[in-house]
Amino acid sequence: MKVKVVETVTGQELRDMLATATSWLEKSAPDIDALNVFPVPDGDTGTNMLLTMRSSVEEAFQSTDTSVGAVAQAIAQGALMGARGNSGVILSQIWRGLAQGLKGKKTITGKDFAEALRQASKMAYRGISNPVEGTILTVVKAAAAGAEEQAERDSDLVGVLEAAVNAAGEAVADTPMLLPVLKEAGVVDAGGQGLYVVLDGALRYLRGESEQMQFRKPQIITSSVAQPARLSVQTVDEIPYGYCTEFLLMGKGLNPDAMRTRLQRKGQSLIVVGDEDTVRVHVHTLDPGNVIRYATTLGTMHQVSIRNMDEQHQDFLAMQRQRMPATDVATVAVVAGDGLAEVFASLGASAIVSGGQTMNPSIKEILQAVKSVPSDKVIVLPNNKNVVLTAQQVQALTDKKIEVVPTQTIPQGVAALLTYDYEADFETNVKLMAEAMAKIKTIEITYSARSWALNGLRVKKKQPIGLLDGELLTAGNEPEDVVHKILAKVHVRRSEIVTIYYGEDIQAAEAEAMAESIRQKYSQLQVEVVRGGQPYYTYIISIE
Amino acid sequence: MTVRIITDSLSDLTKDLADEFGVTVVPLTVLFGHEAYLDRVTITTEQFYDRLIHGDIWPTTTQPTPQAFAEAYEKLGQETDEILVVTLSSRMSGTYQSAVGAKAMVGKKYKVEIIDSTTVGMGLGLIVISAAKAAKKGAKLAELAEMVKSARSRAHFIAYFDTLKYLAKGGRAGRAQALLGSLLSVKPILTVREGEMAPLTRVRSLRAGMEYLYNFVASCSGRIEELAVEHTTTAEEADKLAAQFAELLPNQRIFRSTVSPVLGTYGGPGATAVTVLEAAPK
Repeated sequence: MKVKVVETVTGQELRDMLATATSWLEKSAPDIDALNVFPVPDGDTGTNMLLTMRSSVEEAFQSTDTSVGAVAQAIAQGALMGARGNSGVILSQIWRGLAQGLKGKKTITGKDFAEALRQASKMAYRGISNPVEGTILTVVKAAAAGAEEQAERDSDLVGVLEAAVNAAGEAVADTPMLLPVLKEAGVVDAGGQGLYVVLDGALRYLRGESEQMQFRKPQIITSSVAQPARLSVQTVDEIPYGYCTEFLLMGKGLNPDAMRTRLQRKGQSLIVVGDEDTVRVHVHTLDPGNVIRYATTLGTMHQVSIRNMDEQHQDFLAMQRQRMPATDVATVAVVAGDGLAEVFASLGASAIVSGGQTMNPSIKEILQAVKSVPSDKVIVLPNNKNVVLTAQQVQALTDKKIEVVPTQTIPQGVAALLTYDYEADFETNVKLMAEAMAKIKTIEITYSARSWALNGLRVKKKQPIGLLDGELLTAGNEPEDVVHKILAKVHVRRSEIVTIYYGEDIQAAEAEAMAESIRQKYSQLQVEVVRGGQPYYTYIISIE
Repeated sequence: MTVRIITDSLSDLTKDLADEFGVTVVPLTVLFGHEAYLDRVTITTEQFYDRLIHGDIWPTTTQPTPQAFAEAYEKLGQETDEILVVTLSSRMSGTYQSAVGAKAMVGKKYKVEIIDSTTVGMGLGLIVISAAKAAKKGAKLAELAEMVKSARSRAHFIAYFDTLKYLAKGGRAGRAQALLGSLLSVKPILTVREGEMAPLTRVRSLRAGMEYLYNFVASCSGRIEELAVEHTTTAEEADKLAAQFAELLPNQRIFRSTVSPVLGTYGGPGATAVTVLEAAPK
């Protein structure tokens, strides 16, 4: 394959590049719509960005001056005139910054592009009253940094744009770490993804791949974060989103900064961008009339759009339901400890009920969790002997079909959840999970609450004691020797994996030392340490 | 004239298998930065995995150009008047689109029928082998096309992954995304459904994974038309599994292959897959 080295592009090429990037975006607009959860889950980010890009393309092709500076200016003007939605308006700011950076240029070098992208990044932040990270803003900033770094090494435009695309891609993948609402939904930021696709499309044009692009689709970056565990909470959320209000204001001597300050308290997601003659306003407000009354005093209004976001949100939810994986079985797990709750969530539990040895949950709590999950068939994992019976009472109180897999320990619950077969039916899964839990051995270490003697075992108050599968087996001076005494009684020769969940009173280093002592004695075992954060049990250890 | 068959390199048909069954394989491309290699043609699986594990450039992949398919059509068009093309799932790659695009580029001297296998790896490989066998016995294009379409739901590709990192980074996780992000070290087992990777379950060890693959094949016993075992980097484990199958099914030929570089870009090291092509109901 020939790799093009491109030193510079002309204004005409910039125009074609924009057109290619726009068709590239068009291909993934529906996928980007589906990602959209922030700031409002209304599912239109991809479409809005596409419409903004189209307006830029139209304007760019009408420009008679085909120098880079003039074309970039036309692109920015087109974007401002046609910007739609939050991400569209921010995109128009990005174009505006780029145009400023490219002002007066006949051609673009890699270095020019990097500098212009830096300007674009600054401009993007400027129009927004409260910039949020983990969005398109973070992505444009990362792209600019990537481009600058590469431009210092080599000013080949392809290389610089490539660096920008790669940095943008990585920033997109990281957005869920920065913005909790994305993490909860298990998606990356839609606007950021859209910008990545635009940059990627431009790069492909430069590489001379326009023809192949007809047969391909942009990549949607996957979130590296686990899928959400508590979906139910979001669907019962009834806070109204109000109206997405957008318009273009034309006049003389307009002051975008003053307008932004004035509109600050009128709503959310406020963006005001533009210059003295043309200003674009985007705001989510409960009272659009108020915003519009104010704007009419300043100039003439164009392209006024007021959309009911609650309606949009309902459509979005319907779209999401269609795209959801076809699993109709949900799992509810009873777990104590934040670390363990996260473990269960990361393995696909649909809801977590807090509780365990020292605080058994009520029937009502389990029932609520069962009701909250979006499935008619629910598997409950009690994970404690004292909770099994409670869990079994729930069936009588709901129309949903409930099966309790009677897991008595956390490791049994984990084993059962892991075994879940995505293609098997409800009954088969219940059977598979019950089989899996039976193969696990559980060691639990805690401290004796009082002194006593039983079956020849003498235990002092506050002495570490160890249970094997729920039966008290031995005591010792330190948790470590209790664990080793029990391991000696279990036939670990045929086992492979030991997982240590350490409790809220234990430090990671202590748990690691425990793991090391097991590895030393049983070299064939793979020993994993996980923070459980559970109360009462110093250690919960699974052997499989 | 015998119908000639074309597939792509994601069928995981090695050169020996392709030659044996007279199948033309159009390669996809794997890229390390600016260096482009034709799948299994200008890079061997060993070279590729070595670089995947030890190199510092993350590879990317691209589909064949329509041109590459057009050339294959024209070459075979000199020997036959009917060509069957079976590609990997169109939901994973634009290869199918390229094959369709190429059809418009060549004349109408011969018939070209293009089918999306909706699967990948030896799932596609075994469908192609089964079609090649029928073509050799004289089946015509229309008949073969029907056969391949019906075989799609009978090809079961089940893969054990050491990690889903590669699949996720390549943007091909599909519904298997549900298995990402586990806080315990787990080994996912996936299959292909509706043309996309889909989750089956998880195990905690290689041994449990191999046991799962074995049990799956054993559960198909009596209904198996073709059987394949392939791996990315763990040849020994896959050989062991193949030997177990040989014991279980003494009369069954076991196609033993490796996962091509392009597919391995998403599978990553340590992956093993079995494919059962179930016999058509009589």
